[in-house]
Amino acid sequence: MLVQFYNVSKIYPNGAKALDDISIQIDRGEFVFLMGASGAGKSTLVKMLFREELPTRGQIFVASRSVVRMKRSDVPRLRRNMGIVFQDFKLLEKKTVAENIAFAMEVVGAGSKDIRVRVPEVINMVGLKGKENCFPGELSGGEQQRVGIARALANRPLLLIADEPTGNLDLNTSQEIMELLFDINRKGTTVIMASHARELVRAARKRVIMLQSGRVVDDSPNGESLL
Amino acid sequence: MRPGSIIYFFREAGKSLNRNRLLSFATVTTVAICILIFGFGVLFTLNASNFMNHLESDVQIRAFLDQELTTSQVSDVGRKIEVMDGVKSHEFVSRDEALQNLQKEFGRRQYDLRATLGKNPLPHVYVVKVKNPREVSRIANKITQLPGVHKVNYGKGTVERLFQVTRWMRIIGIIFIVLLLIGAVFLIATTIRLAIFARRREIYLMKLIGSTDWFVRWPFFIEGVLLSTIGALISIGVLALAYGSLIGKASNVFFIKLITDPTILSHLYLILLGAGAALGIIGTWISLNRFLKV
Repeated sequence: MLVQFYNVSKIYPNGAKALDDISIQIDRGEFVFLMGASGAGKSTLVKMLFREELPTRGQIFVASRSVVRMKRSDVPRLRRNMGIVFQDFKLLEKKTVAENIAFAMEVVGAGSKDIRVRVPEVINMVGLKGKENCFPGELSGGEQQRVGIARALANRPLLLIADEPTGNLDLNTSQEIMELLFDINRKGTTVIMASHARELVRAARKRVIMLQSGRVVDDSPNGESLL
Repeated sequence: MRPGSIIYFFREAGKSLNRNRLLSFATVTTVAICILIFGFGVLFTLNASNFMNHLESDVQIRAFLDQELTTSQVSDVGRKIEVMDGVKSHEFVSRDEALQNLQKEFGRRQYDLRATLGKNPLPHVYVVKVKNPREVSRIANKITQLPGVHKVNYGKGTVERLFQVTRWMRIIGIIFIVLLLIGAVFLIATTIRLAIFARRREIYLMKLIGSTDWFVRWPFFIEGVLLSTIGALISIGVLALAYGSLIGKASNVFFIKLITDPTILSHLYLILLGAGAALGIIGTWISLNRFLKV
């Protein structure tokens, strides 16, 4: 098992209950959608994976290591196993496409030779060949998200976490991005994607974990509950 | 730490300096002004305390001897003063010399003081300098008790008041400098906080990608220390030029002898440089940790 949640609850200091007794298991190589309306707890759950949030109760394991009991100094190692794709892309506006991707490798201390090889590789993988020296402002939304995905892939993660990656994109572009994520998953990377784009998720025929008010209300292997 | 990472830290620091040119300029200027004021403060305090030392060391005891002493009795008093604990030097001024001095000071060219007075009314005097000016009243008391000493004059009251003034001058000088330093740290912390705030998205991203706290910190430290060191160098340059030309023009300002000792001055400049770098480190440290809690 790559990801394990055991009876995880999260209550924020203001008393808001974001997650209520969640237990989930995700295997290596899976593609899993987290679905639910805004405020259902998707974002909280996603943030716990890379330990931006800690649960109030319960245990979380990623690659058999406890995220909850982990020392602060071990958090960088946890995060290096993951690639994170954001709804708002979070690209650095003053860096080019290639620099944005190289940045992700530089900040984990990758060697410059490794960076020179890997950056064109992932740029190819996401279909942005020829755009290496463009700045994010010169790209369309879909292209920017491709940069975001390339950056997430740069350090060869076990797990790709995408929080509403198509939230800011139109339907056609969203479908292209989905295809790219499926492709990445086929090559062996586990993908967890939070989304509330029902049509998109239904068409995918992948495992869907449905959240409502912080509880898992459905967990179906092929998204049957959405049919 | 990998050499590639070190290059990366310096490159990032350099890029950030270049990218935020206005902010970098503002920080350098702020540091330069702070260090400059601090430097002037230190120079002023140094000179003032030098002046105070000078004033204090001018304090001397005048021991007036009895009129009827024989020559051997006079030199006997001199020997007793000489062996006294805490005495730096003593000088004998005979009554004749004293009168001549008086004649020089007050007498008009043709005016014969001695003829007017008839006989010399002045006593023999020992002028005593002490090692530690603060012991002047103790030593004066001891001299008074020597046989053959008629009276002792050391500016009682005046000396005590002088010491009080110099003590307060020193305390005020130290408080002034401490306040300036605190002000400088706060200014730098604020400026570097602004620089970090401008890059908080980048820091957040770095942390989520998996960089360690130190990897995030290093470029900021280099940037902060570089900025404050450049600022300190500028202020040292200005200070050295200004003070140098002051010394060149006049070795005295309002009768105060200025410090010109190159060792003291170069130490001061080194201290200012170190203070600048320290301000950068402290300022960066204060500002940085708040943004790492991701």
